[in-house]
Amino acid sequence: MTEKRTVNFVVNGDKESRETETDQTLLKFIREELYLTGTKGGCEIGECGACTVLLDGKPVNSCLILAVELDGKDLVTIEGLSKNGEMDRIQKAFIDHAAFQCGYCTPGMIMAARALLDRNHSPTDEDINEALSGNLCRCGAYQEIREAIKASSKQ
Amino acid sequence: MLSYDYVKCTDLNQAFELLEGTDHIYPLAGGTDLMVGMRGGKFAAKMLMDIKGLPELKVLKEDENGITIGAAVTLNEITLYPPVRENVPILAEGCHSVGSYSIRNRATIAGNICNASPAADTAAPLYCLNALVNIAGSGGTRTVPIEEFFIGPGKNALQKGELVQSILIPKPYPDGKGTYCKASRTGSVDLASVGVAVQRWGDQVKIAIGAVAATPVRAFSVEKAVNENGEKDWSKAAKLSCDDISPITDIRCSREYRYHVVEVLVRRGLEQIMGV
Repeated sequence: MTEKRTVNFVVNGDKESRETETDQTLLKFIREELYLTGTKGGCEIGECGACTVLLDGKPVNSCLILAVELDGKDLVTIEGLSKNGEMDRIQKAFIDHAAFQCGYCTPGMIMAARALLDRNHSPTDEDINEALSGNLCRCGAYQEIREAIKASSKQ
Repeated sequence: MLSYDYVKCTDLNQAFELLEGTDHIYPLAGGTDLMVGMRGGKFAAKMLMDIKGLPELKVLKEDENGITIGAAVTLNEITLYPPVRENVPILAEGCHSVGSYSIRNRATIAGNICNASPAADTAAPLYCLNALVNIAGSGGTRTVPIEEFFIGPGKNALQKGELVQSILIPKPYPDGKGTYCKASRTGSVDLASVGVAVQRWGDQVKIAIGAVAATPVRAFSVEKAVNENGEKDWSKAAKLSCDDISPITDIRCSREYRYHVVEVLVRRGLEQIMGV
């Protein structure tokens, strides 16, 4: 049976304590309880990467995680990247390189890219392909996405 | 998706008690197969038991017995672990073939084998490395060779009340190279249409194939030809692989295609690790 649990966590730098149902996904929790709708739902079976967020600094598919698993964790969503109204340099690089068309995959792409740049300051094409292997772009902006990430890594 | 309850385990004994006393209970580690399976109706869970916080299952160590990989260790952690990269790189290759980078931040090798898909990417490398599965339950522990752990599609050797505690890659490690060759519909993030692991052990070879039978299988006919009869013509040896497999047609590819591609991958694997 579904029950309610309290989860304590950090989201985008702020401590939070919320109730959630035991069968709610992290994706749904982020969008419908925290109202952080930058994180998108796509395939919801872990194949498209639109729902990518950082959990304890690592990119993960929030559609395959339960909200109760968030207890004690540090969560960063796309909304957490800008500081004082100033966008993160990877976000600026995506704009400068027009690294999207429809933009639906962009939040997930950027979260995966941010995590890559945090662990690797000068990624090669191969590193980028590997890090973004779980993020699909059906508009086909891959080339521009790679360029944006490389440009951002040089700053 | 049906509704279910969630328990975060605080010690192993609690986990065994829950497993024994609860119907429709599933251990949750990475959850990357479980969540998809529940959504698709494959698993009718009423209770999820989160085991990934248990320190006994987070063990990743090398000692005189070999490399021990706890059930809650993620595939990315295994791929990056220096003793794995140095001594059994074929296992790093197999782990790296599963899903995407972000999936591998959650997915575990124990989950990959417990799901018991004949196409499990880590299985064929584990077969070639004589891996041992350490199973724990309230009655104690037991060890099962990986080849006996897979029983059938989705079926493993666990009894009610048991779970996989760790996987051991025993010493001695193989003397020689190994490779895992995978054929899939897309370059990444797809299940194997066929997966072939070829591992050199000195002048001998060990070959295991996934997605061509009810469980991963060893290519005993090919191994015999190379190891006992001194076959050096790798295409001839690879042709024998058809005796070792019994593939079916499914959503990923046809039975005929599997026969063909197994032969090609076994030949390529032999060329790559035994020399042309």
